[in-house]
Amino acid sequence: MTIKQFFLRRRIYDELTEEIRQHLDEKTEELMREGMSREEAEYAARRDFGNVTRIEERGREAWMWPLIESLWADARYAVRQLVKNFGFAATAIITLALGIGATTAIFSLVEAVLLRPLPFPEPDRLVWIDQQDHSLPGVAPESLSYPDYFDWRAQNHTLSGIASYVGSGVIFQNPSGSERVEAQIVSANFFDVLGVGPVLGRDFQWTDEKPGNRVVMLSYAFWQSQFGAAKDISGKTIRLDGHNYTVAGVMPKEFRFPLETPAPLLWKSLAEEAEDKDPQTGQRGFDVLGVIGRLKPGVTVEQAKADLSLIADNLARQYPDSNKQYTSALVEPELEHMIGDTRPAMHMLFAAVMLVLLLVCANVAGLLLARGSRRTAEFALRAAVGASRAAIVRQLLVESVILSLCGGAAGVALAFGLLRAILKIMPLDIPRIQGATLDMGVLLFVLAVSLVSGILFGVLPAWRTSRRTPVTALREGTRTVAGGRGQNRIHNSLVIAQTAIGMVLLISSGLLTRSFIRIVNVDPGFDSKHLLTSRVGVSSDLKHDQHYLFFQQMLDRIRALPGVESASAGWPLPMSHSNATVGIDIQGRPVAKGDEPNESLGLAMPGYFETMHIPLMAGRNLGPQDGLSGPPTMVINQAFAKKYFPGVNPIGQHIQVGIGDDVFEHPMREVVGVIGDIKHKGLTDDADPQMYLPYAQAVITNPYLVVRTNADPAAMQSAIDATIHGLDKGVPVYQVSTMEDYLSKSVAEPRFQVFLLTCFAGIALLLAAIGLYGLLSYMVTQRTLEIGLRMALGAQRTDVLGMIIRRGLTLALIGVGTGLAVSAVVMRLIAKMLFHTRPTDPLTFAATAALLLFVSIVSCSLPAYRAARLDPMKTLREQ
Amino acid sequence: MPMTNLNKADQRDLFRGALEMMILRSLLREPMHGYALVQHIKQRSNELLQVEEGSLYPALQRMLREGLVKAEWEISASNRKVRTYRITPAGKKHLEREISSFERMLAGITRVLSPNET
Repeated sequence: MTIKQFFLRRRIYDELTEEIRQHLDEKTEELMREGMSREEAEYAARRDFGNVTRIEERGREAWMWPLIESLWADARYAVRQLVKNFGFAATAIITLALGIGATTAIFSLVEAVLLRPLPFPEPDRLVWIDQQDHSLPGVAPESLSYPDYFDWRAQNHTLSGIASYVGSGVIFQNPSGSERVEAQIVSANFFDVLGVGPVLGRDFQWTDEKPGNRVVMLSYAFWQSQFGAAKDISGKTIRLDGHNYTVAGVMPKEFRFPLETPAPLLWKSLAEEAEDKDPQTGQRGFDVLGVIGRLKPGVTVEQAKADLSLIADNLARQYPDSNKQYTSALVEPELEHMIGDTRPAMHMLFAAVMLVLLLVCANVAGLLLARGSRRTAEFALRAAVGASRAAIVRQLLVESVILSLCGGAAGVALAFGLLRAILKIMPLDIPRIQGATLDMGVLLFVLAVSLVSGILFGVLPAWRTSRRTPVTALREGTRTVAGGRGQNRIHNSLVIAQTAIGMVLLISSGLLTRSFIRIVNVDPGFDSKHLLTSRVGVSSDLKHDQHYLFFQQMLDRIRALPGVESASAGWPLPMSHSNATVGIDIQGRPVAKGDEPNESLGLAMPGYFETMHIPLMAGRNLGPQDGLSGPPTMVINQAFAKKYFPGVNPIGQHIQVGIGDDVFEHPMREVVGVIGDIKHKGLTDDADPQMYLPYAQAVITNPYLVVRTNADPAAMQSAIDATIHGLDKGVPVYQVSTMEDYLSKSVAEPRFQVFLLTCFAGIALLLAAIGLYGLLSYMVTQRTLEIGLRMALGAQRTDVLGMIIRRGLTLALIGVGTGLAVSAVVMRLIAKMLFHTRPTDPLTFAATAALLLFVSIVSCSLPAYRAARLDPMKTLREQ
Repeated sequence: MPMTNLNKADQRDLFRGALEMMILRSLLREPMHGYALVQHIKQRSNELLQVEEGSLYPALQRMLREGLVKAEWEISASNRKVRTYRITPAGKKHLEREISSFERMLAGITRVLSPNET
């Protein structure tokens, strides 16, 4: 077909029409000559000619690209149909969009977090390595110390490489001031084990682990932001924590490890760890290292585990003081280790989203079935005027496809939006989640699922109708039953399934919500309101007394600020993820070396507990008397007292704590007070035994500054900054945050789960309601005649109302019952994610059932009301 | 006598191409317009063939498109505006091919149907 023909086509069609008109004229005239009346002749001429419209159509078809053009015609007809039935089309499209959008967005998250391989060569060979503590009833993993790590590195036979890393923020000094930067201290083979080399400069070498060889690898981002991507950076010297470091090179842009937030910007060699007078590289028992290994080709995780366990067992015998309980190794695939914790949550989301997808399919199916049945008369009419069965099915197919495609397009847009929104509110510490992008495979899969269900249920009614003779269908279509029993049964089952699925989603969201409410109502043991916290980067090179005096001066000045109620400093801040455990030795209770219990360590400046509003239970709080020259003291919490001093007054007891600074080296300390338990790791964790040393007597880290204010704490930050910088311009202030933020972040994950699941449950509820409403409206239309008859025969409006609502409620009750039964079984799967909430919590089950039944009644009432308002006389006359 | 409406089951469908062949054969005798073609085919077949009058037109459109016939608006002898179809050289060639293959087919069918096997 040529372009010319295309433009000529209009004329060709007109000519055909004209020609046929002439034909009919001529025939009519001839028949009239034979003696017929004009009317008779015209009728006879048309009868002999056949279906004019159809013949014209077939004539035109000769000029068309046969399939495409008839499809185009179908498509235009379909669009007209959908526009005419806007309510139906909009409902179907929105439903599809919700299903496709939500499913794709969540699938994409799951893909990014759970399924995507690690961004390193041969990622399957990377393993996470720990030692296992056998001193406790449940075997617990424990980090390695440097000497252990060196031994494992030298003695193993199953790994092609084993690297260590440990986080260590540094103060980076540049001409414009100083800044705290996330950094890691890594072994020389760290990059080699991961399989990624620098884009600029050289990799670390074994000699970089020796004292005096402080070298640093820059991240691409740090190189760009701090050095303007200078090509000659390697070999240059930079200042970190007041020391000179030689830049080895720059890592590629996408390189990131460990995969945590905030990402490390620098990697330093082990040299500095080997330099002190008591270097950490020599301290067995200083268990802080993250260790990652690369399996030799063909070696299994189990083999590596056996190999390393043998080494651990030997070390435990060789060094009982520090290693007694660490008699085996833990080896697991690195990816497994990283995402282990998030797996249940991700699986739950995955399941929820699959249910929503099912629900969407069921809903669209219901909509299409009802609509298809309503159109029986239309199909029959078209069949009667000559449309073939194939043509009708094709028409419906086109309609379903167009509907699905519109829903799909809207769904894709929604998926984009949802993913971006989720990433914005997602708790940051889910590894890899920020790398999530819309997954095309998933998108296509979801589109295909909705397309197939659309087509299936779109064509089904036409298929059934067209099997019957047009006459019967026509007669039925305009009157009583349209769909027939089979179709009604499908439709009923769909509604029941929808209600049941909605029930399951609502219950799981209800349980999580209940659990979440319990979590946020947990008393953390301190008062988080009006509390501003930050860290102050005082150089660790200062002598411990200078260090302490700086903090003392700083706190005095801050306390004098207007709006400040009290101020102090302590470590670790609750919910800040910092913690340390050290060995303790209680006076009068000798234990074998290597068997000393470890407990959580804290540090506090005078006024810390008062500022945090942590209650004092016995004895006294730490004060100025517990200073640089005072007698060594400590404070314990109730859990500590309960564990070690049951039935004994802990005040006045003496404990030796295995940590101190260069002045207070492991002195015997007197317990002077007992404070209330506070939640450290999270609101859902039990309060651990905890001890606090006076900061003046253990200057081992920069404590958190805590300031209690009269008003909005965040507004105080600039004044506090100015005060600190008034004391020393070069001291960076970082990790500024209100205590409320810490608390809120600590429940970010359950909050997010509740949020997402509640969204899904909301969608489910809406869809279930639409499904029920659709079915009942359809039923009312279908049974209009019956209802009219009943009313004519004396049925009251309330009878009719009751009849429809009864029908709807029966379906809803079956659905709710099924949903309850399924939930009772299925909810056990999320038991681990629930806090102090039983997976079969009767209140949640009952409330959910009530909610769903209420919504069902609402969605029944509109069709029922419409049925009850039917005018029997009018109905009967029309029918 | 106009064509009677037959039940679908009784109707013998013309095999594909038969209508085209008859149209081309008729046009080979003389150019004709649609109505005349219908009359002609009916008369020649002694009304044995039940052709729906209208079905002629889609066939004519197809043949126009394939260049087997061409059409022009003329005034007929009865002073009526009619669209007259003529067979083209391509149409003649097509007709010859079709007739010869049809004859071969017919001969084959006849042999099979004949009662005495030779």
